[in-house]
Amino acid sequence: MSLYFGVPILMLSAVLQSVVIENVEIFGGRPDLVLLLVITWTIIRGLNEGMIWGFIGGLCCDLLSGGDFGLWTISLTLATFVAGQPWIHTLGPTSMRLALMSTLGTLLGHTIFLSLMSMRGSPVNIAQAYAHTVGPAALLNFILSPFAFIFLVWFHQRSLQRG
Amino acid sequence: MQRSNQWIPYVLLVAALLLLAFHETGILSPLESSLGFIIAPVEQLVANITDSLSKLLFNVKDVSDLQQQVAKLEQDNEALRIENIRLREQYVVENQQLRELLNFQSENPTYSTVGGDIVEHGCEVFPCGQVLGKDTNPYLRYLIINIGSRAGIAVGMPVVSSGAALVGRIARVSPHLAYVRQINDTDNEIAALLQNSRVSGMVVGKSNGALLMTEILPDEELRENEIAITSGLGGLLPKGLILGQLESHTYQEAELFQEAVLRPAIDFHRLETVLVITDFRHPTIEDLEAE
Repeated sequence: MSLYFGVPILMLSAVLQSVVIENVEIFGGRPDLVLLLVITWTIIRGLNEGMIWGFIGGLCCDLLSGGDFGLWTISLTLATFVAGQPWIHTLGPTSMRLALMSTLGTLLGHTIFLSLMSMRGSPVNIAQAYAHTVGPAALLNFILSPFAFIFLVWFHQRSLQRG
Repeated sequence: MQRSNQWIPYVLLVAALLLLAFHETGILSPLESSLGFIIAPVEQLVANITDSLSKLLFNVKDVSDLQQQVAKLEQDNEALRIENIRLREQYVVENQQLRELLNFQSENPTYSTVGGDIVEHGCEVFPCGQVLGKDTNPYLRYLIINIGSRAGIAVGMPVVSSGAALVGRIARVSPHLAYVRQINDTDNEIAALLQNSRVSGMVVGKSNGALLMTEILPDEELRENEIAITSGLGGLLPKGLILGQLESHTYQEAELFQEAVLRPAIDFHRLETVLVITDFRHPTIEDLEAE
């Protein structure tokens, strides 16, 4: 059910990532909008819906990438798989889980992505990637996570009313 | 309900893995193209809205006038600079080479010589593409432009900016979008030449976005601010496209070659419009023999 608004949201956020966010630099890096949204949705709605969002969000990112098709899909699907595990619910209240998973999920998503890239022979400078891309993205996703949460909870409540 | 859907995560994981595996074989091309049909108009629309919004933000008249004047002056300056480089390439260097040939002839009067031009196929620049956005993969340096296979764009075609500066080559196409691998991507290697000294080397991208000219012989003398151009060797790119300007160079005695850092000729963040060379073709031996 959440796909009625999930697909447009994810497509738009992938496009915003490509058109707007990739041209902006905050704290030496950029937030990862699609990754943040799929992790947040997983925290709100659980494993199954989170992974569906991860899969579709990954497809949208892959469509706007000249690299190997599927890298983003695997990374986001796996990141939401981890973020949706039942033991995550034992980590504390929603705000705590959100803060933790927006940061760790970003680190995990990018680590999977970098591993897949290097496994496929792309030259990746791991130290530079963590210092200039992954680190700032994790920090910015942590800062932006309350806004993403408020935004998605609004849709979550709407979908519950309809359902 | 939740229990009956326990297979969903595993199906999605397998599907994601299969996507990557099937991408290699090319089976997914129709799917990628069809999905590209959906996302291309959204990308174009958002790019237009963003462009309009950013213009709206600077809508104070004076600022706008000044911006226009600066933009025009920058454009004139760039055009003159590029014209200057092209003229130097076309006449000064050619003149020097012909003089050297004449010298060779006068120093060796017993040899009979026949002159020959280096044959290069004409490169007509046709489709003009608007830069829509950057790659969502932060570890690649790609641009997305709003023309694709429907406009005759194909993988490998060279892409240049409004002057004769090389932007990169087409890496992937969908019907309405093309993905340009920038010259400063780490996967790129371009055979290059310094314009005045004719020193040759390979230009590669660094992970920080800079350009590095490598494989320069140790006894070559390098001068700062020299313009690096494509040499045309290898046949993948036309000769004479501007890559950058020599900023600094290093050589350690233990190394086989010298290295030089180049300042890219293009500010990739400000790039708005590009041209794709659609009919560049390196002459084959058969072509040369036929002539």
